[in-house]
Amino acid sequence: MAIGAGILRVPKEAKKGEIIRVQMVITHPMSPPRKDPTTGQEVPPHTLTKLELLFNNKPVSTVNMGAGISANPFMAIALKVEESGVVKIAYEDNKGGKWERTAEIKVS
Amino acid sequence: MDRRKFMALSALAVVGFTLAPILQPAFGSTPRLEDELQRRLGVRLAQIKEVADIKLTAPTIAESGANVPITVESTIPIDRVEHLWVFVDKNPVPWIADVKLTPMNGQVYFSTRIKMGETSNVRAILKLKDGSYVMATKEVKVTAGGCG
Repeated sequence: MAIGAGILRVPKEAKKGEIIRVQMVITHPMSPPRKDPTTGQEVPPHTLTKLELLFNNKPVSTVNMGAGISANPFMAIALKVEESGVVKIAYEDNKGGKWERTAEIKVS
Repeated sequence: MDRRKFMALSALAVVGFTLAPILQPAFGSTPRLEDELQRRLGVRLAQIKEVADIKLTAPTIAESGANVPITVESTIPIDRVEHLWVFVDKNPVPWIADVKLTPMNGQVYFSTRIKMGETSNVRAILKLKDGSYVMATKEVKVTAGGCG
């Protein structure tokens, strides 16, 4: 998969006021700054830096991260749902990449 | 220098040398972590209280340091919590991630997979609304490092 591709997963249905788990996996190398073992040249880091979680376009959480997160990061965050809507994640990396994923949830 | 003075000084020196390695760990065992805490949180490790109502789940022994699953949960009501940090004491960069939490989260819950260079403590630190910091610590033994 290409860098920045992501899967966002939420339950299809939930009860009003239920606390759900928002799970995501993003394809990204998350490589730290390092020296190339053969040429000795400095290789700059390439990591995701920021991920925002929104529900119906209202900000819920912001995750700041660095190279300490494993490659192809997996994350799970709690979200309390009071109404049906769209869960969105927007994330960016240190090389200017910006992506978004959405998932719908029905709340009864 | 007379003999008595010399004896006293050398005795002091011996005491100094033997004590130095013992005193060292107490102050300098995790200088990188202290620096990072000072920069990102503005507090020292000693100012953060260890509490039982944060649950930090991580393996006791990790097969690979490249992929260590951790989960932070807390029974502290979300209204009282502002921010969450994850640190690994002995990583080249101890700061792993931080999460801004809002009441819309409903609960303190954050799960991810982290890299660890060597056997070290993992810390989950919460900033509460009243400005105080609390944390949970767990040691994870790493058999193969995961940095680089």
